[in-house]
Amino acid sequence: MRLLQKLKRKSSPTHRGSGSNYAYATARVRAMKSNLLPRETYPRLMNMGIDEITRFIEESQYKQDVDELARVYDGVDLFEHALNRNLGVTFTKIINISEGELNYLISEYLKKYDIWSIKTILRGKYCNASVEEINDSLVAAGQLSYTFLSSLAEKESYESVIDALSGTDYYPTLKGYDGTNLSAIENQLDKEYYNGMFYAIGTPGSNDRKLFSKFIRTEIDIKNLSTLFRLKKAGVGEDEIADLILEGGLHLSMKEIEKLLPLPFSEFINSLEKYPYWEDISDIVSPEMDSLVDLETQLTRHSIKSAASFSHMYPLSIVPIMDYVLNKKNEVNNLRIILRGKAANLDEEIIRNQLVI
Amino acid sequence: MGAKDVKPTRSELIDLKKKIKLSEGGHKLLKMKRDGLILEFFDILSKAKDVRSELDAAYEKANEKIGIAESVEGRMTVKSTAFAMKDAPQIELESHNIMGVVVPKIESSSVRKPINKRGYGILGTSSYIDEAVDSYEILVEKIILAAEIETTMKKLLDDIEKTKRRVNALEFKVIPELKEGMSFISLRLEEMERENTFRLKRIKA
Repeated sequence: MRLLQKLKRKSSPTHRGSGSNYAYATARVRAMKSNLLPRETYPRLMNMGIDEITRFIEESQYKQDVDELARVYDGVDLFEHALNRNLGVTFTKIINISEGELNYLISEYLKKYDIWSIKTILRGKYCNASVEEINDSLVAAGQLSYTFLSSLAEKESYESVIDALSGTDYYPTLKGYDGTNLSAIENQLDKEYYNGMFYAIGTPGSNDRKLFSKFIRTEIDIKNLSTLFRLKKAGVGEDEIADLILEGGLHLSMKEIEKLLPLPFSEFINSLEKYPYWEDISDIVSPEMDSLVDLETQLTRHSIKSAASFSHMYPLSIVPIMDYVLNKKNEVNNLRIILRGKAANLDEEIIRNQLVI
Repeated sequence: MGAKDVKPTRSELIDLKKKIKLSEGGHKLLKMKRDGLILEFFDILSKAKDVRSELDAAYEKANEKIGIAESVEGRMTVKSTAFAMKDAPQIELESHNIMGVVVPKIESSSVRKPINKRGYGILGTSSYIDEAVDSYEILVEKIILAAEIETTMKKLLDDIEKTKRRVNALEFKVIPELKEGMSFISLRLEEMERENTFRLKRIKA
């Protein structure tokens, strides 16, 4: 109950604009950023075997997480859990060191992890997975603690899970879940997340807030592009795609997307030429493209590249913090890609293509 | 049946002649069945080879795609997404007849599902997951097809073996023994005929 009150308090828009500790938080984040692995580490890791990589991770900032989880997991699973745990601890730390408006914005952004965990719990209840199985797939990197999420996983039914979340921002969406419409609820939660982000940003006044808004809107564009590619390639109808489009994109406004919706796949690709994303994806998209995996990776690269391009502009703002959040997430992703890729005997070229360095 | 066990009577000879005719007819039919089954087997064998190589390719691709999904999205994400996919493919088992051999016919439904009907939300997932699901759906389809063809092939092989044993038994054991018995009875009857003629001549003399 106290946690829910805390959540409500933190989520409250009344906190917007109240005293933020930008100087302190950005200084801490700058120090944390210095712990990130330098980009030249990844080619070195690519040349190592699994044992060498795991030793490298054990000797890095992830040591404590690996040691603590070693009694529960082993092999590559241990490292994946350790990486995720470290990510969760790091993001929670950022939430805890920030205050006022900054805290509000970061918390809103990191809600995506809470949504992910809630979806995992509902999915687990849907297929009668055991509590251990559900707990294994939780990542507590948002406002909701692992203990709280774990207590949700222990609930008997999805109804009890939803009841336990009453009073949170997710409840109005979750109460529409009837045990059968899981995918619709998942999509709705994701849409609400972006709507919430939009509400949090409001009308940006200062330049740094404008950049943050640009960052979020670019993320929406990328999400919409990915959705359009996936659904158009699968031949899904125009109306069904329209339901899954997020509003508020930077270059792909609703008006622009409405023009793209009726186009067949090949024409849709051609019509993307006029958008700034084309430069990054032009080499890999074609009407005959077999896989969208490289496109997704390229879009992620674009997102990180664009965040990095303005991260130094306003040192005492949310921008360098978001840049760190993205880079930390990317570091965890890269380490996992190398480890899991090598464990799955994936071709070196495939692993290299998935890395975002 | 040894020739010595046969009673050298005319009725036995007629009986044996009938049996030989029946056995030869059966032998001819079984030989035709065996040849037909062999032809059918070779036809299915080439299909089975194709399906097996397609299955191997699908398995390799599925392994690659799940490997990519697990490395980019994480095994936890893949596992969590898998929780949302509760509906298992439906399989119906029917049977049909190839030259008397009952072989299975497997009908599957809801193996391949459209991207937006898979149970997980689109906005919270990615192409890595989609492609892993796609490749596993294809793999399941190939497994079902391979199961049907390979079971048919196994059943045909069993039946060819059985038919071959019957043909050989008829050709090298049953028919020769019946013929031996028939020639024994014929000889014995001729001998008895000659003895009777000689006995009559002696009585007349």
